[in-house]
Amino acid sequence: MSSVSLRKISKRYDSEGPEIVKRLSLDVHDGEFMVFVGPSGCGKSTMLRMIAGLEDITDGDLMIDGVRANDIQPSQRGVAMVFQSYALYPHMTVGENMGFALKLAGKPKEEVKAAVGRAAEILQISHLLDRRPKALSGGQRQRVAIGRSIVRKPKVFLFDEPLSNLDAALRVQMRIELAKLHAELKTTMIYVTHDQVEAMTLGDRIAVFNGGKVEQVGRPLDLYSRPVNQFVGAFLGSPQMNFIECRAGVLRGDALDLHFGDVVRSVPLAGMAAPSNGDPLQLGVRPEDLLVVNEGLGLPATVDLVEHLGDATIVYATDVVSRQSLTLKAADYPAEVKAGARIGLMPRIGSFHLFAADGRSLTRQ
Amino acid sequence: MEAPMSTSRSGAAAPAKSRRRLQPWEWAPYVFISPFFILFLCFGLFPLLFSVWLSFHSWDAATGLGGMVWVGIENYEFVLGDEWFHKSLFNTFWLAVASGLPQHLVAIPLAFFAHTYLAKYRNTVVGIYFLPFITSSVAIALVFNSLFSRDFGIVNLALTSIGNFEVAGIHPLAWLFPTSNIDWGQPQYTKPMIAFVVFWRYVGWNTVLYLSALQTIPNDLYEAATIDGASRRQQFWYITLPLLKPMMFLAVTMTIIGNLQLFEEPFIITGGTGGLDQAGKTAAMHMYNTAFVDSDFGTASAVAWVLFMLIALLTVVNNKVFSQKD
Ligand SMILES: Nc1ncnc2c1ncn2[C@@H]1O[C@H](COP(=O)(O)OP(=O)(O)O)[C@@H](O)[C@H]1O
Ligand SMILES: [Mg+2]
Repeated sequence: MSSVSLRKISKRYDSEGPEIVKRLSLDVHDGEFMVFVGPSGCGKSTMLRMIAGLEDITDGDLMIDGVRANDIQPSQRGVAMVFQSYALYPHMTVGENMGFALKLAGKPKEEVKAAVGRAAEILQISHLLDRRPKALSGGQRQRVAIGRSIVRKPKVFLFDEPLSNLDAALRVQMRIELAKLHAELKTTMIYVTHDQVEAMTLGDRIAVFNGGKVEQVGRPLDLYSRPVNQFVGAFLGSPQMNFIECRAGVLRGDALDLHFGDVVRSVPLAGMAAPSNGDPLQLGVRPEDLLVVNEGLGLPATVDLVEHLGDATIVYATDVVSRQSLTLKAADYPAEVKAGARIGLMPRIGSFHLFAADGRSLTRQ
Repeated sequence: MEAPMSTSRSGAAAPAKSRRRLQPWEWAPYVFISPFFILFLCFGLFPLLFSVWLSFHSWDAATGLGGMVWVGIENYEFVLGDEWFHKSLFNTFWLAVASGLPQHLVAIPLAFFAHTYLAKYRNTVVGIYFLPFITSSVAIALVFNSLFSRDFGIVNLALTSIGNFEVAGIHPLAWLFPTSNIDWGQPQYTKPMIAFVVFWRYVGWNTVLYLSALQTIPNDLYEAATIDGASRRQQFWYITLPLLKPMMFLAVTMTIIGNLQLFEEPFIITGGTGGLDQAGKTAAMHMYNTAFVDSDFGTASAVAWVLFMLIALLTVVNNKVFSQKD
């Protein structure tokens, strides 16, 4: 049992300064892999460091396992943290690094050694125990940093962008290993990243941060398919969701007219709140949900560029009415879709979003 | 095909006529860097080599270069057996330890304190500690001589007024503090006084060295240690000290080298005499006096080279001590 519960937590670095985290509430369940994702500077690390006890909590309650932990010493909170820089002690061997916490806790030498050995085995770094950090590769250092946190048998693992310093190939590999590690240890993990791919692939649930607040929390695919607002829609997914400006027209039964300048197209409004006639809207469509149709049927656009990636083809087009760039993605496109061609675009039925002027999705959650 | 042939012909003929003339752009750079080499040769390398040569001679500078008489290693034999030299070496080591050790014992915690607890005033505080280092030694001598003056010094005034503190006719503190003025010129006080001045003068310098080393230790390490359960003291012990080791090596080496050459402070404080009973005479002062008071440049050169070898030896030892493992 180790849950983390954030209750209306606020953070200011100095009393007159800006509020970096704003009355943030969130529950992380026992054994869950929770990912904090958001653009740089939105307060993810600050939140994580408050959980670790490295920053004071200005206001609100941090509950670990149902106990208020605001004033508990970092080392007594039962958390372990993996830093982006790894923060390995350069003058200690890998084994000493991993056993440092237990040594400080006054555990007997044999016990420390056994615990370090077990953790090293899980991470396959047993052969490195006598080396210094500077003799290790980036990936090995990362493993040692994780090993150091495993040895403490924490209730909660905290990761602050642990893969950012690795090259792309290693990042993918470590990502898979982290997922395996979580499956094996079943410990609660909180993972901070600005990389939405990491978030989507690792998280049991994702909390999308923006400006010190959580925009939405949920399972990755739920967030992907039902973003509560334009920010979440735009943040998750690559290439990004397309946004096309339009105006609400009349609603006939289930069909809503959308005005793109002079072009009027009607879309089925299943499961969405109906906008008032004349409301400014953004039509949000993911690249894979934007389909090519006859020019007369959909939204008129011109093709700028076609990229063949092998497993997928990406088409960059410009919307004729509003001159916005749009991205389409599919396994393949007919030969007529080539640079300079005029095409019509239409969202896949049931796979588009309408966002009101304030960014909120009209989709009923 | 013709052009290359004609060039090769003239090229072959040239060496026979005369050597090719150096063009200005070829020799000019050497002219521009020559001042350094000329100065270094005149005032660096030449005196260095000359003093080696000199240390095997007996020479009174007043007799000119012709007065140099080869004496082999006699100068070295004399120096190594000279009681005054022994005494000055003893004084030097005494001062080196008594002024050097506290410098580091104070500078490291002081730098740690300034680094950890002082944010806004760090530079001011360190600057104040650094001030003696850049103060003229004549000013320092003046200040200390007046502080420690027998009849008018503030030190004596403070000590005796505590010693003479009277309650109901008895002097409760007289057993610990003096009741009459102390003559700080007495030999038993000379070395501690010099050591204190040297300590006072260089502690700020070392603090700055350690502070700069502390600032290169990433904060992450302290945060990781905090989560690992290390108290502030344990962080100092397990993180700061080991990571300061390279700087400790550098700073201690510099202190050893500096202290074994100690000259200015004892010279000024004792008025160039070494004080009563030569209690404050260092090896460097001994060398100076041998050369310029006794006009025995050969022996003085031998003293210099013995001193050099001692310093080199200690640096090697220091290196060994600090570089075990890693
Ligand atoms: N120690 C600090 N003092 C003052 N401001 C800080 C400090 N650390 C972070 N901030 C500010 O808090 C904001 C959020 O930072 P951070 O939590 O590191 O963002 P993220 O990890 O999401 O990129 C940033 O605007 C940053 O400038
Ligand atoms: Mg961050």
